[in-house]
Formats: sequence, structure tokens, C-alpha cells
Amino acid sequence: MTKQEIEPLLVEHLSKSFRGVRRVEDVSFTVGAGRITGLLGPNGAGKTTTIRMLLGLIAPDAGNALVFGKPFRDLSDPTRVVGAVLDAGGLHPGRTARQHLRIAAAQGHHTAARVEEVLTIVGLSADADRRIRDYSLGMRQRVAIAAAILGDPKILVLDEPANGLDPAGIYWLKKYLRSFADHGGSVLLSSHILADVEQIADDIVAIADGQVRSATTLAEALAASEGDLEDFYLSMISSSEISSFERTTHAAR
Amino acid sequence: MLRAETLKLTTIPVTKIAVLIAALGLLATQLISTVLMPYLVNSETTDPEVASELPVIDMTLASEQLAVLNLLGGSGSIGVVLIAVILLGVLAGISDFRFGGMVGTALAQPRRERIVLAKTGATALIGAATGLILAALSVTALLLALVLDGTALSATLPEILGTLGRGVLAITFLSLIGLAVGLLLRNQLTAVLVMLAVLVLEPILLGIIQLATGTLPIWAQLMPNTLAHALINAPTALTGAAATGALTALTALLLTGAALTLKRRSL
Repeated sequence: MTKQEIEPLLVEHLSKSFRGVRRVEDVSFTVGAGRITGLLGPNGAGKTTTIRMLLGLIAPDAGNALVFGKPFRDLSDPTRVVGAVLDAGGLHPGRTARQHLRIAAAQGHHTAARVEEVLTIVGLSADADRRIRDYSLGMRQRVAIAAAILGDPKILVLDEPANGLDPAGIYWLKKYLRSFADHGGSVLLSSHILADVEQIADDIVAIADGQVRSATTLAEALAASEGDLEDFYLSMISSSEISSFERTTHAAR
Repeated sequence: MLRAETLKLTTIPVTKIAVLIAALGLLATQLISTVLMPYLVNSETTDPEVASELPVIDMTLASEQLAVLNLLGGSGSIGVVLIAVILLGVLAGISDFRFGGMVGTALAQPRRERIVLAKTGATALIGAATGLILAALSVTALLLALVLDGTALSATLPEILGTLGRGVLAITFLSLIGLAVGLLLRNQLTAVLVMLAVLVLEPILLGIIQLATGTLPIWAQLMPNTLAHALINAPTALTGAAATGALTALTALLLTGAALTLKRRSL
């Protein structure tokens, strides 16, 4: 493989256990240049742990996670390579959005002008000097997204980025991600909202019980399920999970 | 990264509150001992029996004037300043964990020992700045006391600068010790309680040991409060250097532990 062909994101046989419980087992997938990959799976499937291992936040027990052929911790200027939205974005409620972004800019050696640019991009310029404690969940998510794109990265890794966003915000996010990928960027998007993933993803990685059940293109997934991504998703995730849900429902009756 | 960490500390209210509490605590302590107490002792309205029980500071003595410049308050005591400065460091250490900012920091700087290094630099800067504010306040309190007492300044400029300089150094070290404890324990309540317990138990423990053995073992003299006061009250340059060395070693040990723990921790 030549240098130009190195995958932006490569996950190889990742495994991780916490206190003896296997959370991620032999997970492998890639995210190509100009592609949006949807990481789908039920709660506790191992999506977040996989993303955190990819970003060097959790050390894997086995396997590799490489960003342009390197472990994340070996990137010399990580914020210009990967932008990430995890959890609530690590926002201190006592700071303003502008203060938060200036700190993020200082961490990544970005300019104050870039802070103003990303505030404009996410539509928060007018509210940038309000304290984050007064923000709605959707506004906090926009701040987190603004921080992720500060370094104009080549890759975006987003864990449930639509959480709290209103319909207009979700529409904006989908357009932004599509445009980002169309300009050669790579996106790994973890989401529970299948309809949103279906609208923008190029590839699907379905994960359940810590294992990859399917890694395919969206087109193939839809073709395999008569155009219904929900059907595809439910057929891929653990049957035991569905059985468990059915058992619970039955017992409740 | 140093700039980012400094910005973090200067943009959260808790830093300003800790500095304000330290400043008010120092002013209150110094003014009570140098202005209020002499006033009460000399006041005709004070019961003579009560007045005789009150501590009297002879402000004509250089040693008493220098004692007013002790940024931690009385010798060996657990004062408001000491607690506020340690908590300043503790809160600097835990705020990133408490609100999830450590993830963003680790994404920008995956080499976590460098994060601890940057936090150390930023906390040292804020600690030193706090020390300088406290130094200015203590000089103001001393001058006010001298004017009200009608006494001349008898402490020499090198003595004054030396006492203040050692005070600023002690405040800086204490804030760094707080930072290390915050990074090690992560949880705000746990870290604050542990630090308060150490500070409160330290003089009690030392008192018990001294009563029981008649002397203090070396390890007992290496506690943070004891070392900080030993540095400020150092009678010679050599003892000052020894206290500085011991505080440096203690701080470095705790920060190294914090760096190793952070390096291995899942975020």
C-alpha cells in the first residue's frame, strides 16, 4: 500500500475487557477518505469503548487503532488530523462558549480568528459570551462540534452528535458532514438514529455484544434488507438482545 | 498547552473565589492581630482582666513586623490562607475530570505526562500570582498597623523581601501539592476531604508524636504545612534552602505519581 492509500482510520482486532468482562472483542473496520461510516449498535454494544480506544483514551488489551497509519498518541498535531465530539464535549458550565473555544484553540495552537470562524459555522456567534450553564443541550452540542472542527481536521469522530439537537440543528449537522466528506474528509459517526444515518452514511458498521456483526456499504445493507435499514440493523444486532426485550415485554403483560 | 491550562484556571469562578478567600483570610488575620488586639488592650472600655489575657504584639520589634508578613498567618497554624491555597490547587486538578475537559485535553495532547507538566506550570503561575497579591496585602496590613501604632519600620528591606519571597514560594508549592492530590484523587469531595484531613491532622499528629517521643522524626517534619512554615520562618539561608529542597522533593514526588496515574487511566 502506498502512502496515499493509507486508510484515514483503521481498526484492527481491537479487544478490551473491564474487570474481567469483555466489552469489545476483535473489532475491525476501516473508514475511508471521503466516506461517512455509521457505527451502529444498541446501548452497551461497545461503540463508545471502540471510539475511545481509537482516540487513545483507553488502552486496548489487544489490536491496533491507527489514524493515517499511526496510533493516535503518535500524531504530532492531533487536532489538525482528528476532531472529536464525545459525551457532552467536556464543557465547564461556568465558562462561556468563547472561553471554551479559546482554551481549545490554545491547546491545538489555533488562532483566535479561527474561534470566531467556527462560532459562525455552528451559528453561536450571538450567544458566545453566555455561560454554558445557560445553554440548551443542543447549544452545548454545537459548542462541542465547534471545538471538534477548530483544527480543520481531516477526520471527524462523533459519538451521538445529534443528541439534543433540534430538527434544524440535525439538518445542519447532516449537511455539514456530507459536505465535509465530499471534500475528502472522513467521518466516523456513532448514532442510534437510524433514519439520520441512512440519509448521510456511505458505510455501516453494526456492532453488538462488543463484536462487529456487519461492516458493509449502506447500499449493500439496504439491498440486503429490501431498503429498510431498521430491518438490517435488527437482523445484525444480537438476537439475544431482541429475545431479552421480548421476554421483558411478555413478562410485563 | 501552558497557555490553555492557564486560561482554564483564569476562566473558572472557583479560582477567583479561592484567591479572594485567601486574601480576605490574610487581611482578617493580620488586622486582628496587629490592629484590633492592640486597640482592645489599650481601650478604656475593655475589662482590665480581659485585656491582660489578650496577646500583645510589640510592633517595635523587627521579628514581630516580619511575622505580620508571614503569608500563611501564624507559625504552624492551619489558617484560612493555607486551606484556600491548597484548595486552589486541588480544584485546579479535579475541574477537568469533573466536567469532562480532560478528554478534550488528552485529544489535543495525547502524551499525558505533558498535560501534567502544563498543569503544573499553570498552577505554579496562578499560585505565585496569588502569593504576590497576598504579599502586597500583608505589606499594606503591616504599614497600616505601624501608622496606627505610631511605630517606625525596624525590619530591613532584605529581611522583608526575603520573608515575602519565601512566602510566595511556599504558596506556590502548596498550590502544586493541592494540584497533585486533585489529579490523583479526581473526585472533588474526596480530594477536598483528604486534603483538609491531612492539614487538620498534621499538627495534631505532630503534637502527639512530640509528646510521646520528645522529638519529631524526620518524616514528621516533611509534612506540607510544617515544611511551608519552616520555609517562611527559616532563620538562615541554609535552613530555607533545606525546606525548599524538601518541598520540591515532596511536590515532585506527588506530581510524578499524578502523571503516572493519569498516563495509565482510561478517559
